[in-house]
Amino acid sequence: MPAASNDTPLNGIVVVEHCRSVAGSYAGRMLALMGATVIKIEAPGAGDPLRRMPPFIDGVKRSALFDYINVNKSSVTLDVKTKTGLALLNELLKKADVFLDDTRPSDRKALGITPEEVAGDNAPLLFASVLPFGAHGQHCDYLAYELNTLHSGGEGYLMPNGLALELFPDRPPVKIYGQFAQFVGGTSAVCAIISGLLIQDVVGGQFIDISVQDANVALSCFNIQRLGEGVLENRHARSFQYGGVLECSDGYVGLLTLEQHQWEGLVQLMGEPEWTKEEWLKDPLNRGRRGAEINKQIRAWAKSQRVEDLVIKGQALSVPLAKYVGPDAIMAAEQTKARDVFADVDIPGVGTVSMLTAPFQFTTPEKLDAYPAEPGANNATVLCELLGHSRSELDRWAAERVV
Amino acid sequence: MSIDKKPMTNKPLQGVRIADFTVHAAGPFCTHLLALLGAECIKVESTNRMDVFRKPHPVYGRMEAASFAQVAANKLSIQINMKHPRGAELARRVIAISDIMCESFRPGVMDRLGIGYEALKAIKRDIVMVSVSACGQTGPDRNYRGYAPLFGATGGLGTLTGFEDGPPVEMRHVMDHGTGLTAAAAALAAYFRKKRTGQGQHVDISAREVAMSFIGDALLQFAATGHSHGRQGNDIPGMAPHNVYPCEGKDMWISIAVAEDSEWAGLTRAMGREQWLSDKRYASAAGRWDNRRELDKEISEWTRTSTREDLTKLLQKHGVAAFASYHAKDIVEDAHMRSRGAVKQLTSPEGETRMAVGVPWRFSRTPGSIDTWTPKLGEHNRYVFGELLGMAESEILELIEDRAIY
Repeated sequence: MPAASNDTPLNGIVVVEHCRSVAGSYAGRMLALMGATVIKIEAPGAGDPLRRMPPFIDGVKRSALFDYINVNKSSVTLDVKTKTGLALLNELLKKADVFLDDTRPSDRKALGITPEEVAGDNAPLLFASVLPFGAHGQHCDYLAYELNTLHSGGEGYLMPNGLALELFPDRPPVKIYGQFAQFVGGTSAVCAIISGLLIQDVVGGQFIDISVQDANVALSCFNIQRLGEGVLENRHARSFQYGGVLECSDGYVGLLTLEQHQWEGLVQLMGEPEWTKEEWLKDPLNRGRRGAEINKQIRAWAKSQRVEDLVIKGQALSVPLAKYVGPDAIMAAEQTKARDVFADVDIPGVGTVSMLTAPFQFTTPEKLDAYPAEPGANNATVLCELLGHSRSELDRWAAERVV
Repeated sequence: MSIDKKPMTNKPLQGVRIADFTVHAAGPFCTHLLALLGAECIKVESTNRMDVFRKPHPVYGRMEAASFAQVAANKLSIQINMKHPRGAELARRVIAISDIMCESFRPGVMDRLGIGYEALKAIKRDIVMVSVSACGQTGPDRNYRGYAPLFGATGGLGTLTGFEDGPPVEMRHVMDHGTGLTAAAAALAAYFRKKRTGQGQHVDISAREVAMSFIGDALLQFAATGHSHGRQGNDIPGMAPHNVYPCEGKDMWISIAVAEDSEWAGLTRAMGREQWLSDKRYASAAGRWDNRRELDKEISEWTRTSTREDLTKLLQKHGVAAFASYHAKDIVEDAHMRSRGAVKQLTSPEGETRMAVGVPWRFSRTPGSIDTWTPKLGEHNRYVFGELLGMAESEILELIEDRAIY
């Protein structure tokens, strides 16, 4: 394994990212924040189609999604469908530890980047394939966006539960916000890639087949476990027997009392009304069986309460309660500030804004130090300085639209 | 890179030992993934601090204890009573022979027990300690209690999930497990660094921050513009059609997502509605977005008389991203999943069989695997205390008698 010259976990590791999917790009983001050098390959011209995916940073029409998942990377434009483009990609792979690719298996054949072809003389290279349904099996060439992968993994079928479902029982399932299933696939890829790096000195390189569906099925494993217990989960049956989302006078809270003392705290929080004194409520199994009756009472009570009061008093009584908050409250929260999880980045044409750094904190802090530039912004650095080509070659390739 | 040779017997984390003090869902999912990768994971519980998967869970509608818990597979089980005066000492001895220590106590509890990071560093200089908590190890909310739906609320993911005209939605176990997955990635990175530099560290995972990371684009949009979209149902602005449509059968659905004009053309061919290509309501992506509710109705009428399977095949053939909305039974019966080993049948020591989720990655040379069933509480006391720590049988018996091993 390459020596580390600074203290970040993946310092010195070179990743060539050839991805158009959110999952692949998100894996690249995490690896970059862990210290790897990530070189993103995009199509010449307009670059990665994700640059045009909502949500947008209005005014300049920059994609907030693209920018969020492509920090700390270099961008090189290469048309890998051309002979020269493919040759340059192969040159880059010789300098790389990891090839992160989400090309469909049938397209890999057409392009000449099958695992066998890439293996060639790249003995230590890890080929990390990130695809919606993996690189093997009858669905491996299937197309899928976030919505499709979320539903392929089992969780899509089971959303929503609780209040949202009771209000709209006849609507189709609703997705989790944003690119949840894709980010899960990307994080799963990171686990696989670092595992491959850990054993690279023993076995050399290898092909790692990462499926976004597999990652989401793993995340949803309790549903498979329930099936083994003879229960096929559905949206209605999976709702919490009581608690969950409660509407207050000025917003929503989540409530979950799993343990006896938490239930007792809730009773106290409600001011010990008459109905809570019934004998059957003392038994947690009975409460589970007759949850609907409890819900009717606590929902009526919650309507007259203020969110902040409930959360503060609830926590003091050890009742697990939380306020449903949006980006505004998250960014203003004392906890957010104290944890230093956002960093200032300069967005061309917009100015300095805060971006969430990473969902992990190492002893050696991860840094946001490169905001996504235009496609091909690092062509000269990578192709000339790293690979040793001349400026005149680069100019010729640019004229030929190879780069 | 070598792909033609047979897989080797090595697993990526062969020889790595984990002292696992996590309970509930998030932490155990982290160590579950590391155990699938070959780590020897020693799960530490006690009769008075048993993991919840061993108990009934009435709020979830589970009235009996689970007979098999996926996330406990491949793990060893030992008992240490942390409330016993000798508990901390036993814990320290297990940690001293481990490479990674994972825990999900409330912040500060490990320090009080005498097994916080500073104390551990003194006995095992290069230990990688991974802490998984609701809000992180620092900050004013560090003692905040939480379960998945609650950090889904405070981290914004549950707030932004739901129908446009409806309430927020509870995040379920995928939120816990998403936290565990993130913790596993970070633990692997920290261990990789340790292997290269000889230095351990304390990795801090906050479930709230994991939830925030799933809405990172909305947070960036808000920071740059002062606003963000609220709940949007199944919409992704600019993509239409983009929804879940009813199919033949009760509660059967298919997800269909169209981004590019070529995909739209494929959809019209699959539906036999090529006239839509020149219909000004739908001819452009902007038109389809503006008229998406009407489009959804027309597509629903078309999908509702066919099976999910037939529609998926047809639409994929025409280059449209479409997939059935899978429930658990669909997943375990899916030929594709089975062929990948992503779901597999397991057999208990008593001969009971059941389907479980397999390893979510296929390594060409170093495959992971599920090898063992959920261990019984304390099943590996003798192996860990006797064989690994070299304690005499009489000493183990004495500790059991004294309820230190309990």
